[in-house]
Amino acid sequence: MKRAERHRAPATTLVALFAVLPIVYLALLSVTRTGAPPRVLPAEWRLDAWRFLLSGRGEMLRSLWVSLALSAAVALSSAPLGFVAARYVAFHRHRRLLLFFAYMPFVLSPVILGTCMLFFYIRAGLSGSLAGVFLAQTVFTFGFSIVFFLSFWNREKLDLEDLVATLGGTRPQFYRLVLLPISRDALRTGMFQIFLLSWFQYGLTILIGEGGVRTLPVLVYAHVAEANPLFAAAAGMLLVLPPLALLAMTRRPPLGSL
Amino acid sequence: MSSTAKARGGRVGLAVFLAIAVFPASGGLLYALLYSLGGVGLLSRGWTLQAWIRVLTGSEFWRSLLFSSTVAAEVVLISVALGLSLALSLGERLQRTLGTLLHVPLTVPNVVAAFLTFQLLAGAGLMSRVAVRVGAIPDTARFPSLVQEPWGIGIVLAHVLLATPFLVLLFAALARSERVSAFVELASTLGANHTQTLRRVVLPLLLRQALPSLVLLFIAILGSYDIPLLLGVQSPQMLSVLVVRKNGIYDLAQKPEAYSVAILYSVFTLLLLLRVIPLQGRRREAS
Repeated sequence: MKRAERHRAPATTLVALFAVLPIVYLALLSVTRTGAPPRVLPAEWRLDAWRFLLSGRGEMLRSLWVSLALSAAVALSSAPLGFVAARYVAFHRHRRLLLFFAYMPFVLSPVILGTCMLFFYIRAGLSGSLAGVFLAQTVFTFGFSIVFFLSFWNREKLDLEDLVATLGGTRPQFYRLVLLPISRDALRTGMFQIFLLSWFQYGLTILIGEGGVRTLPVLVYAHVAEANPLFAAAAGMLLVLPPLALLAMTRRPPLGSL
Repeated sequence: MSSTAKARGGRVGLAVFLAIAVFPASGGLLYALLYSLGGVGLLSRGWTLQAWIRVLTGSEFWRSLLFSSTVAAEVVLISVALGLSLALSLGERLQRTLGTLLHVPLTVPNVVAAFLTFQLLAGAGLMSRVAVRVGAIPDTARFPSLVQEPWGIGIVLAHVLLATPFLVLLFAALARSERVSAFVELASTLGANHTQTLRRVVLPLLLRQALPSLVLLFIAILGSYDIPLLLGVQSPQMLSVLVVRKNGIYDLAQKPEAYSVAILYSVFTLLLLLRVIPLQGRRREAS
């Protein structure tokens, strides 16, 4: 592996640049105005977007709250539900068939599945509403949630349940005193990953929300469409900062494997 | 196990599973199928195969499928090549700060990646300005079109930007769990040179283990929407963009076609999924 050693220094630099540059570029775009071509360096510093955000004017702050509330609600509902359903799938004799159904909403393109289900949302009076987007995102993230928690439910957990029963423990006691403490980490990680799936979601939100539910991704796209890179970049930074902060705090991967 | 499972899994798990995973998705697909066959819908005039015939005999769907599949395959191939090279050349450094640093691009959502790619590669974007400055082209108008062009170059680049860090981390983790370095040492002791070790030991080991994730990555890109919406063109369009456009335009006659394309896409994707699940099961059992 001497050859690999030789390539290590440039590869390290490449990876470091590759990792950091997009965020630096986004941050720069949010505080600068690009001059006329072929000027490379920014023409001037502009803090309009951030001032707007801090003053509470415009819709950036509102979008931030909508995104936070929506993603938190999706994570808080989808993770526990997926946790419970994953247990059912994990020990079922037709596990592969159930897994196929669990994967279905997760692997089908959210917008294509959303298009197919749109009629039901319209009939239920949920299209164009935050509740509708919440429901659609919960369906979409639920599949991921099951797949995520599947590996948690193994033979060891069943043995623990049997052990508690043998020692005279009741089912609620097993849940409260055994299952909850040992599943806390998995639940926390799963919840965070589901939060991010919802936090990043654009297609399904714009489709079911009919443009009325202005989450941060919707706002980024709206600013791009109106050729306002300054505000698009600032909204983009708001999208990137929470997962970045969590990464800095936990040093854990912010996204689950596919 | 089945009787135990029934007793323990409980009705709650089943009810939740059916209510959230099975019924909405299956119901949506069934509705789309019925609409595409004229069985339901505002303009329904009875059962007909017209929408299906139009989709299957026209060129739009096939071009879109070919375009989407090509983009997805290109992204997977390029990202795998980059991911493998970086994971193998960086080795244990990925377990330290560099590994944490590599998680940073995973915090970038698709819509932001599309925006950044546009700012970077558009006609008046950063790359064209740099190209003028270094004298590669006389003015930005001469910069080759890399976004919103029919080959999907910008779409591929944006996806590669997002997929590569994930694959570097995946291959590095697999190299550790599969004890690749021990096998490399063994192969070298038995007289294999670097190329032979790479071709016959390292790549088969890593790629076989990564296959389910790579197929899922292919599926995810095949159905991607945010990035092609900003960086793509009107024709050919990625499948998701095509379905949404056909479903959303004012001509209601196009709706059955949108649903036909959605069903075709879903069948294609679910067939791929049927291949992935046994592979994942085998991987889980092996680990």
